[in-house]
Amino acid sequence: MNVQIPLPPKPIADRDTQAFWDAVAKRKLVVQRCSQCDAWIWQPRPLCPRCHAADPPWVELNGDARVVSWTALHPPVLAVWADQVPFVVLLVELDGAAGVRMLGQLVDDSGALLKTNGDAEGLAIGDRLSLRWRVDEAGQKLPAWTLAG
Amino acid sequence: MSNRNGARQPLIAGVHGLPYSKDIGMTERHSGALAILGALDDAGLTVNDVEGITRYVWQPTTEMEMARVLGVPNLRWFGAQDYGGGAGPPTVALACAAIELGLADCVVVWRSRNRSSGGRPWAGQMLAEGQDQFERPFGIVRPADGIALLVRVWMNAFGWTREDFGRVAVTVRGHANRNPAAMMHHKTLTMEDYLASRMIAEPLCLFDNCLETDGALAVVLVAAERLADLAPAGPPAYVTGYAMGSGPQVYAMTNYYGEDLTRSPNAFVAPELWRNTGLKPGDIDVVQIYDAFTPQVPLFFQEFGFCGEGEGATYVASDDCLTYNTSGGGLSEAYVHGFNLIVEGVRQVRGISTTQVKDVTHCLVTGGNVVPTGALVLSGVPW
Repeated sequence: MNVQIPLPPKPIADRDTQAFWDAVAKRKLVVQRCSQCDAWIWQPRPLCPRCHAADPPWVELNGDARVVSWTALHPPVLAVWADQVPFVVLLVELDGAAGVRMLGQLVDDSGALLKTNGDAEGLAIGDRLSLRWRVDEAGQKLPAWTLAG
Repeated sequence: MSNRNGARQPLIAGVHGLPYSKDIGMTERHSGALAILGALDDAGLTVNDVEGITRYVWQPTTEMEMARVLGVPNLRWFGAQDYGGGAGPPTVALACAAIELGLADCVVVWRSRNRSSGGRPWAGQMLAEGQDQFERPFGIVRPADGIALLVRVWMNAFGWTREDFGRVAVTVRGHANRNPAAMMHHKTLTMEDYLASRMIAEPLCLFDNCLETDGALAVVLVAAERLADLAPAGPPAYVTGYAMGSGPQVYAMTNYYGEDLTRSPNAFVAPELWRNTGLKPGDIDVVQIYDAFTPQVPLFFQEFGFCGEGEGATYVASDDCLTYNTSGGGLSEAYVHGFNLIVEGVRQVRGISTTQVKDVTHCLVTGGNVVPTGALVLSGVPW
C-alpha cells in the first residue's frame, strides 16, 4: 500500500539565500551585515538596501533573542501538524543585530516542538530566548527558540 | 467635469454580483463573465463598448481570457494588480488612470473567486520559495497566522482587547442580518458567542476571521463625459480619488521586518488619499473597510485620521464611530477579496444599501491593510 506521509512546507533556497540554509545545516545561525555601512539585513538580499553594496557578508550570531510577538496555531492546520497543535510560532528580535526579527517555533531544551499555546510557560513579550535546533518532520533543520533558563 | 489637473473624471456606471454561496457550481471564468455581463447591463452598455479590463493578479482568469470568453473585439487597456486583498482599490485605480488619461472610455474590473468550493490556497503550497522560505516552514502558513503576530503587537502597544475585536464582529453581523444577500443573513452573533468561539491563530478566534465564500462581482467604469450616452440602471458613483501605498521594507501579510510594527501600509495610503481627493475624514459619510480580520477595522480608523494613534478601538466603541461595512463586509456578507466592499460603496452612493446611511455624498473604500494596498472615495457628486 502506498501511504502518503504528510510533510511540512519545504524551504527552497536560491542564490541569495543559500548561505543561510548551508549554515543552518551546520546548526549555525547567520545573518547578513553590510560591510560598507554596517546595516543588519533580514531577509537575505543581494544588495544592502541602504547603501547598495553587493553581496552583504554573513555574520554568525549566538541566537540569543527576545520575544517580539507570538501566535499559537489551532485547527484547521496542515495535515503534518494536525496532531502537534497547539504550538507557538515566535517572532524574535536577535541580540546584537539591531532590528533583525526572525520566525521560529517554541521548543524545549532538546529542540522538540512544545505542545502549548504559551500559557503554561507564562510566555510574554520581552521574554529572553535561547537558540535551539529543531529537526522537522522531513528532516529539515530549523532554528527554534526555548525560554532562557 | 475635470479635477485640478484637468483630467477626465471616471465614474462607476454599473455593478453586478452573483448570489454568494459555498459552492457556486461554475468556474471562476464563468462566474466572472456573468458578473461582467450583469454590470454592463446595469450600466446600459454591451461588450462592444468595453475598451479595457483590469484584474487582480490572484485572478486566475487573465484579462485576455476574459475578453475571449466575452467576445470583446479589442482591448486597448489591460493590467493586473498584486498583493491579495490589497488589490481591490488598486485594480479600480488602474482602470481610472486609463480613463483620466484618455486612453480608454470604458474599463471593466472584476473579481470572481471560488474561495469555498475551490479549497484553501494555503493548504497546497508545500514548496516555500522567496519570502515564504523563512515563514512557512516555521508554521506561518495561513493568512490568519501571518496577521496574528501583528495583532498581538497592536494589542500590546495600544491596549486593545479581544472585546474590542468582538465589537467589530458583532456590529458587521448586525449589518449582514439586514442584508438578504449576505451569507450570514440568518445567523445572529453576540459578544458571548464571540468570546466562546474557538481559537484559530491566537489571539484571533473563529469570528475574527472572514468567511470562505464563492462569489463574483464586477464594476464598469466610464468617463463621466460619456454619462449622457448611457442609460444606467442607477445613479453614478463618481471616483473622487484614490491612492496606493506600501511603506518601507514591506512584506505582504508578514510585515515583520520594518522599523515600526504598529503601522500598516495604510499609514502611507491615507495621506495620499486625502491629498488626491482634497477631502478630510470629516467629509466622509460611510466607510467600507477591508475586514478579512476584525483588528483591521480599528487600525483603519486611526491610520486614516478618524481618531488619534492608538485610539482606534476606543473610537470604534464610541457613539461617534462612522458607520462601516454596511453589507456585512468580508466578515459576514461574503469574502471575495474585498470586491464586495467596492460594490457596497456604490450601493451607499446610490442610496440602496440594506443598512443605508442618510444623505451619502462620499464613501471611502479600502483594500487589505497588512499588504501593499490602496483606497478610493466614491461620491454622489462630480469633482
